[in-house]
Amino acid sequence: MQNASLESVFYSQKNHISPPFLSPSSSDSLFSPSPERHRVSVATNSGKRSPLNRFNNYQPALHPLRCTVELKQQMATEEAAQIQDPRIAGISSSIRVIPDFPKPGIMFQDITTLLLDPKAFKDTIDLFVERYKGKDISVVAGIEARGFIFGPPIALAIGAKFVPMRKPNKLPETQKFPYKLVSCKEGNVIRVYIASREVISEKYSLEYGTDIMEMHVGAVQPGERALVVDDLIATGGTLCAAIKLLERVGVHVVESACVIELKELKGRERLVDKSLFVLISST
Amino acid sequence: MSANRDEDPRIHGIQSKIRVVPNFPYPGIMFQDITTLLLDPKAFKDTVDLFIERYKAKSISVVAGIEARGFIFGPPIALAIGAKFVPLRKPRKLPGEVISEEYILEYGRDCLEMHVGAVEPNERALVVDDLIATGGTLCAAMNLLERAGAEVVECACVIELPDLKGRERLHGKPLYVLVESH
Repeated sequence: MQNASLESVFYSQKNHISPPFLSPSSSDSLFSPSPERHRVSVATNSGKRSPLNRFNNYQPALHPLRCTVELKQQMATEEAAQIQDPRIAGISSSIRVIPDFPKPGIMFQDITTLLLDPKAFKDTIDLFVERYKGKDISVVAGIEARGFIFGPPIALAIGAKFVPMRKPNKLPETQKFPYKLVSCKEGNVIRVYIASREVISEKYSLEYGTDIMEMHVGAVQPGERALVVDDLIATGGTLCAAIKLLERVGVHVVESACVIELKELKGRERLVDKSLFVLISST
Repeated sequence: MSANRDEDPRIHGIQSKIRVVPNFPYPGIMFQDITTLLLDPKAFKDTVDLFIERYKAKSISVVAGIEARGFIFGPPIALAIGAKFVPLRKPRKLPGEVISEEYILEYGRDCLEMHVGAVEPNERALVVDDLIATGGTLCAAMNLLERAGAEVVECACVIELPDLKGRERLHGKPLYVLVESH
């Protein structure tokens, strides 16, 4: 298993300029079930949400550089339609903002009020399900704990398995062999081996602290197509760690999906070439 | 009350997907790992369907899920029966105003919190968790809901450890489980 180098993801300050369509990158496209090395920028740095309807009419192996004027017009129309989706307004208005939580200066986006509105909650899930159904996604990974609320309903609706990604020491092991901690030379990877049921870990930095995430290795198989779900993306540290964990075991992360994006924290840039879909972009 | 294994063919599949992990989180504990259940879309769907079928027509307006594995099973049930979902969380996770309920563990104490205003008086509530052991956590959850004026209709868990007699700690409230593990 390769040692992950986290520094290039977390600490790179390179200026990332994102035109609407990028040259081929290493991430999988939602369009093509086979591992085509193309990425269509369905989520640009301007924070524009990607056109939902596009995936209902997907064509295999759509090379972004060959997008025609017609297709661009179609995309523009679909984006407009998606922005006007009446469900988004209801979802957005159901989320409350709590100032100075968990620390002074942080405006906390509280989705619990969304969960108190059955229609808004259902609409939220429906929007994700409509996007991902029939896209050959076999894994939905949800990040503890609010990702556990949105991930499973999506997984159930699209027929995928649900994989919880957890804070440390929450996942049980089959055997308690003597274990060792290995520090990778390049970065901050800590790996814990316990017999054949390996739990892999990533250390990452958050908007307000540092943390470690764990996932059962055997939960997913190489070549599976995965969606990563959390309620919100801030700096992108958590999502990056989740994606890294999945990629280390050979999974294709086709997209990350969040209800809310805090644009000014530039999480989208931290994901580099990884696709991100959000319902609400908050400045 | 538990789902009758002989009548419902889905139960066997669900039970077979639950993995028992010895000596986690402490020596002597046989941990019931539901994450393997979640890896089987059919078994996971069957689990949720069994609860939905039971609660759909019961006028339940609140499904309360206990952090964190109750967050996995509660929301799909809530969505299907048209109820709101209320997360019951460890301390200091919920922003804004909360009510707290402390409860005793085998080793020490713990605390569960719920948002003020999440639940209104006379609402009918379901409490969901993956497992009931001693019943301490479920009892605290019920207390929170009742303090807010709601009526706890039933507690629902995937797994019960009957030897730990958690059922007796629920103040006479009914408990529904899919699987018993001795």
